[in-house]
Amino acid sequence: MPNFDVVVSSMASGFLLGGILALIALGLSISLGVMRLVNLAHGELLVCGAYLSYFLLSHAGIDPLVGLLLVGAIMAVIALPFQRLLIAPLAGKGMEAPMMTMFGVSIILQNLLLLAFSADTRAIEAPYAARPLSIGPITVSEIYVIGFVVSVLLVGCVHLLVTRTAFGRELRASSADATAAAVMGVDVKRVHALTFALGSACAAMGGVLIGTAFSFTPGTGATYLLISFAIVVLGGIGNIFGTLMAGIAMGLLQSLGAVVLGDGYRDLVGLVLFLLALALRPQGIAMSGGR
Amino acid sequence: MNSPLLVADGLVKRYGGVVATDNVSLALGRGQVMGIIGPNGAGKSTLIGLLGGALTPSQGRIVFNGEDITGLSASDRARRGIGRTYQIPRPFLDMTVRENLLAARFSLHPFESGAKARAACDAILERCGLADVADLNGRDMPLLRRKRLEVARAMALEPRLLLLDEVGAGLVDSEVTELIGLIQSLRHDVEGIIIIEHVLRVVRECCEQLLVINFGKKFAEGATSEVMASDEVATVYLGTARGDGAATLPEDKILDRLDMSKPAHAAAVSGLVGARGVDAGTAVPPMLELLGVHAGYGQARVLNGIDLQVRPGQVVAILGTNGAGKTTLSHVISGAIRPTAGQMRVDGVDVTGAPPHQLARLGLAQCMEGRRIFAPLTVEENLLLPARGVAASDRAERLERVYTLFPDLQKMRSNGGTSMSGGQQQMLAIGRALMARPRLVLFDEISLGLAPIMMDRLYEALFELRQAGLTMLIVEQDVERALELADDVHVMEHGRFALSGTAKAIRDDPRLRHLYIGTAD
Amino acid sequence: MLTSQLSHPSHPEPLPSPLELANMSRFCAYLFLPACLLALAVIAPAMSDYALEIGFRLLLLITLAEAWNLLAGYGGLVSLGTASFVGIGAYALTGLVNQADVPFFLAIPAAGLAAALLALTVSRAVFRLRGLYFTVGTLALAEALRMFMVNYSGFGGASGLFLSVDPPGLLELFWTALAIFAVTSLAMTVATSSRFSILLRAVRDDEDAAAQIGVRPFRIKLIAFLVASFLMGMAGALQGLKVGAVEPYGMFGIQWTVNVLSIVIIGGQGLRAGPIVGALFVVLLSELLADYPALHLAITGVILIVVIRFAPKGLVGLFQRRPRAAGGVQ
Repeated sequence: MPNFDVVVSSMASGFLLGGILALIALGLSISLGVMRLVNLAHGELLVCGAYLSYFLLSHAGIDPLVGLLLVGAIMAVIALPFQRLLIAPLAGKGMEAPMMTMFGVSIILQNLLLLAFSADTRAIEAPYAARPLSIGPITVSEIYVIGFVVSVLLVGCVHLLVTRTAFGRELRASSADATAAAVMGVDVKRVHALTFALGSACAAMGGVLIGTAFSFTPGTGATYLLISFAIVVLGGIGNIFGTLMAGIAMGLLQSLGAVVLGDGYRDLVGLVLFLLALALRPQGIAMSGGR
Repeated sequence: MNSPLLVADGLVKRYGGVVATDNVSLALGRGQVMGIIGPNGAGKSTLIGLLGGALTPSQGRIVFNGEDITGLSASDRARRGIGRTYQIPRPFLDMTVRENLLAARFSLHPFESGAKARAACDAILERCGLADVADLNGRDMPLLRRKRLEVARAMALEPRLLLLDEVGAGLVDSEVTELIGLIQSLRHDVEGIIIIEHVLRVVRECCEQLLVINFGKKFAEGATSEVMASDEVATVYLGTARGDGAATLPEDKILDRLDMSKPAHAAAVSGLVGARGVDAGTAVPPMLELLGVHAGYGQARVLNGIDLQVRPGQVVAILGTNGAGKTTLSHVISGAIRPTAGQMRVDGVDVTGAPPHQLARLGLAQCMEGRRIFAPLTVEENLLLPARGVAASDRAERLERVYTLFPDLQKMRSNGGTSMSGGQQQMLAIGRALMARPRLVLFDEISLGLAPIMMDRLYEALFELRQAGLTMLIVEQDVERALELADDVHVMEHGRFALSGTAKAIRDDPRLRHLYIGTAD
Repeated sequence: MLTSQLSHPSHPEPLPSPLELANMSRFCAYLFLPACLLALAVIAPAMSDYALEIGFRLLLLITLAEAWNLLAGYGGLVSLGTASFVGIGAYALTGLVNQADVPFFLAIPAAGLAAALLALTVSRAVFRLRGLYFTVGTLALAEALRMFMVNYSGFGGASGLFLSVDPPGLLELFWTALAIFAVTSLAMTVATSSRFSILLRAVRDDEDAAAQIGVRPFRIKLIAFLVASFLMGMAGALQGLKVGAVEPYGMFGIQWTVNVLSIVIIGGQGLRAGPIVGALFVVLLSELLADYPALHLAITGVILIVVIRFAPKGLVGLFQRRPRAAGGVQ
């Protein structure tokens, strides 16, 4: 059993990492909540964000944090036509078709990234990426703290957007009852497109943070997809605060698993938690608005 | 055996804070047919769900044939002989009609020979009038056939107890007669039937015992004739029926009731009515026009040629039984469904097939059936939603006007949209429609599930709106109230206007009673 | 044999009736297909190694696709966990052969049973999930298994295990694949044209209504799940046998799931001919792009999306549809 300092630092890292995970999961949550879209390409959106930031840094010298919002914006802009072209035409054909379409997108993106950038592991180099920060017995990488703060801020912004703005009203109304919202004058298609863009931006920005804190390859997305799902299920679909809490919980538990079982089991712990959460939720999990 | 077939004891069903079924007990004797009646939203379907096994009671016991089945799943109960139909039919869409029955048959007799099973199912199909469509998919069945399929499928289980959930809705007189015949013939094959019905003729001719449910509670119980004759039951269930021969309130009395002494009130209301966009005297196209509109869902054709004109300032009522097509008509007007044929025009401009939000921006608002309040939004947020792209001051002003019209809403402005009573939610729905400053509002069945007192208040508000010049389309089940309010009336049957005219003329037309089986008589 | 259709001449011509389809598929299953299989078995010794390889791959993929079709197309259970059962089958075979000297022809069905056992174990948890949760749950299961196998050294960890016995020759493997495919075909025919099919489709169409008429959805879904996982396990075992070694990325990797899903969706879900047509298409494509694996996968993804959008019933569905008169029906 490793010594106390290491354990505590690990927990702290997990806590902080959880914030970043929450940001990533948030994108999935709002897509699912508003559009009933199971975005199986979510992980790839994250990785795309990481690659984008990587190249902004290497070609334009833009620091990943400085360019964070830029990456988010670019991703949002790219995501809009995606949604209009691929997902919107499938509205009303059940949940399986859009889900499989996103699965196809995930395959395409992964392999395009593979073709373009090869399977080499990359990491976004930033001075604070590995720099340690010590408070008492706790030592964490600076990037974790920065990442946590940034993530929580962004999650907070999304929360404000959803609860205080007219767009947020339309978003919540569309998710509750799309037909009624349309009859009340809401352009539901537009809301869906913007929601998807927002979700993609969140994933991409999370990807930048992940890419700076860790390394990534074209295949990294798959794991984060499932972790995100776990967080969404635990936190409640569309529940922003719940997602934040669940993300932090997931980060903590993953770190705990890594400490007890070994680092390779980190992701496995997350998945097992997911399966347990699914299995043990007493009422099963009913989603409003099925077929 | 003299023991009852089914005993329910103290059934309670709670959904969070809402009590859908409140301590209901009943006993069905063998060979009996019991009817359950009550206003919409009273909890009748919840009760059937509890008895059939689709829902688990929060409290209470159910004993069937001497056995406690409270903890049994729906499929276990089905195997023990409880067959149930759904209010909105749920056939297996991608299987043939015969296969729908075979599914029931095979769960009952898994090792029966294919030929025997087929023959048994065909016999049932014959009895239920579905023999000619045995090889067609469930998806291709129109609504009425689906209802028959529901019964046939339940019968394929060889049930001892049959639970029928509103099979009579949407049928005309002759079809009701057929249905009654079918139910009475089924009496010999099962040991007991419980019928939930709206169509009182079915209840009167088939049921010996009657149970009246209101707001989830058992309101009255007894022999059919007694219960039906009771005045209290009449008021509760039949809503506004004031007894035979009672005159409807003359318009001046209604105006007296409105507090027209408050000029602010009147001004508030008129400020919510959108511009008519027309000067009196100029020849104008109708505000809303439907020309030869056909519409439906998949294979089911519901609207079969609707011609409708609504002029500015007019109040038009659409009447008809369930299943006549009123809701589909509302959906077409709101844009939720595209017509399969025909045209829709607003101010003379063709808008056929326009999406709902575009129609809303042309000034058409709707108070949708079932209210459709957005639960995640507060009362005030619900109200603010339709006022899009409107200057903040304008929005605030409209909000004030709505609060003047419905002070209850102001009191509950920060509460969740669905946390209020049904009547208050209906006020919210109306207020929400008005926030867009519409030129035409369609009120779709606003009286469903509401007590008469609440309906009085709502209709008072509607009268005020009429005075202020709002163009209105009223789709209603409550004939009396609609006739009081409207200028012109159309009565729907089988997707067409079977009867049209001024409210005065229609009220006295004998054909109205013939076509319309809504309230008593 | 043909039943009468709607009598209104003005109605658009409908799809072949379910009865017609059933008769067509019975013809295929009882006559045409066995004849083809027999023919293949006979000429196999004369086929080139390349042909045998392609044939083997095709048969294996079709087997997996048929099993997936049973689950997803006929049962409505869209699973992304194919890889779990393939992997378990492969590892189980390796274990049985290495540790217990079990002969191949016994080990393969035993491996299938191992996969079915996994299915049984997770069934209670997994069937409580409806729709998307089931799908994502199966994906999580597959990935979790893979990660576990990578990390747990007891089963060889990331480098896997070697078969301690020499794998049989290509010809024997081909015949074995044919045999397994025959079994699969038989199972599918029984499952899709018997009364079980009616119960399964009822559960697929509306689980609650099915329960209300006495069907026990859990039992029905479980049977489909067990049969499918058994077949997938055997296919995995055969693959493991052929390669002579098993390791997590190859046997539990997502490519199994992706390939099978693509095959069935492109070919046509819920249709008997779907997996066959889909597999032919996918194998053809992969041979054409054999030198560019990433591109091949990317193109598969594109085709998947296009098919979902424009031909929801797959290639087979496209050919089945007769031209409809312009109706007013949306």
